[in-house]
Amino acid sequence: MDDLTMLRDLGRELENEPPARLVRQRERVFRKPRPRLGWLTISLAALATAVAIAVPAVIADLRPVLHGIPATAPRTAMNVLLVGSDTREGPENARYGPALSRTDAGGRSDTLLVAHIPADRTRISVVNIPRDSLVELPRCGGGRLGMINSAYNAGGVACARETVEKLTGLRVDHTVEIDFAGLKGVVDALGGVEFTVPEDISDRQAKLELKKGRQVLNGEQALGWLRLRHLGDGTDLARIKRQQALMAAMVGQVKRSLDDPAKIKRFLDSAVRMVRTDLDPSVLYTVAGSEVKFLSVPVGPHSEDPNRLRWLQPDAQKLFDKLK
Amino acid sequence: MTAPPLARVTDSDVIRESLAEPEAFAELFDRYSGMIFRYVSKRLGPEPAEDLVGETFAVAFARRRSYDQTYLDARPWLFGIATKLVARHHRSEAARYRALLRSPQDGPVESPAERVAAGVSAQAARRRLATALAVLPKRDRDALLLYAWCDLTYEEVARALDIPVGTVRSRLNRARRKVRAELGETNPLTEEA
Repeated sequence: MDDLTMLRDLGRELENEPPARLVRQRERVFRKPRPRLGWLTISLAALATAVAIAVPAVIADLRPVLHGIPATAPRTAMNVLLVGSDTREGPENARYGPALSRTDAGGRSDTLLVAHIPADRTRISVVNIPRDSLVELPRCGGGRLGMINSAYNAGGVACARETVEKLTGLRVDHTVEIDFAGLKGVVDALGGVEFTVPEDISDRQAKLELKKGRQVLNGEQALGWLRLRHLGDGTDLARIKRQQALMAAMVGQVKRSLDDPAKIKRFLDSAVRMVRTDLDPSVLYTVAGSEVKFLSVPVGPHSEDPNRLRWLQPDAQKLFDKLK
Repeated sequence: MTAPPLARVTDSDVIRESLAEPEAFAELFDRYSGMIFRYVSKRLGPEPAEDLVGETFAVAFARRRSYDQTYLDARPWLFGIATKLVARHHRSEAARYRALLRSPQDGPVESPAERVAAGVSAQAARRRLATALAVLPKRDRDALLLYAWCDLTYEEVARALDIPVGTVRSRLNRARRKVRAELGETNPLTEEA
């Protein structure tokens, strides 16, 4: 008897007939889905890290045109909390989604990353905190068990900071907020970004119509490209690749603009509006060229709700202790 | 005059219809919930299987827009989703196979009457198989069980796991080699000629 036959026999032995009550599961199909990792989380994580890396890289290139940045900025170890959001609030973003999804307090997700910048600046560790982590929120976030990203929705970056400090035992020295929607202004400040579109695109959800080929995308089109979902194999991975391609094109665009100080100034001004931070820009200057290592909080399904995540201890704490 | 009725509405037709009429998706549940239940019950037992069936179809429903409609048969897609959800229970899956070792007389499920006639050798084979399954790397086990227990072809396993067919082939070869080694180690007579 060959192995497959034996395996099939074992399968028949282990098999159970579906019970009549299985039909109850039918209702779940149409309940509002709560995917563990929404596309927005993944794309924002990719985008936030891309921005976190692209900005220092660009600043390194801008060295000759920037003035007023001290050649020797302070070099102390620090932890920086990075919050990426796609608020879609306000008239600027109104057309990108139905009103409900734009204003639903808990609906708009964010990305949480903790970056540890060591004193010698050799290697930055970036820890991605899954937004679906179910945690004990501090008072500012409602003082109950809730999703970690609701801290930001409830109490802004101050509350996100308090929550992360309490959960990790780390001191958060600085915060950086990145608004996805602000990218539009950044692209327009550059006078658009030269980019090769791989195929004709007509996507109603992302409000995007593009012809295949090399072209200059304006801010609106670039943002549509970043938000595009249904292209290629439709996976998150494919989307991250698309976003990275656009990010690379933007870095190239900045490099080509280096001899145009007026354009560079417009770019920096708009980039500053997209990013809100209490971090001294000179710190970015010191980290340009640092190696970046990405880490993730070890997680498993939560006992309260299997669609939510629980940090696996002691591994999670060990990870954060290394950042102290 | 009306168009002649189609012999059978394909899965991809159902999914396409559900883009405009979400309720239409229930048809897919009615077609395949039992099939998914049987598969998951083999790997995790009947209790977790019920919940996992609901989850599988909820995930499928949420992702129906990205379904490649050139595939008329949605089964590999659904098996793939269920398999990924099974991964979250990998500890209980391994424990289930190990439980077969500890209680050679009564498995977690009642054996059909004809199994009794097969006698001791079947019991011994079952235990050796269980050992092999419990220690197989998850990726190899997924490929092997989709092939052996869900009767998917190489191409369908590739679709379910979103990996190239060549990778399916190598995972299956590796998994079957290990299973055969385990069977052979304790009883060389069961080895294939």
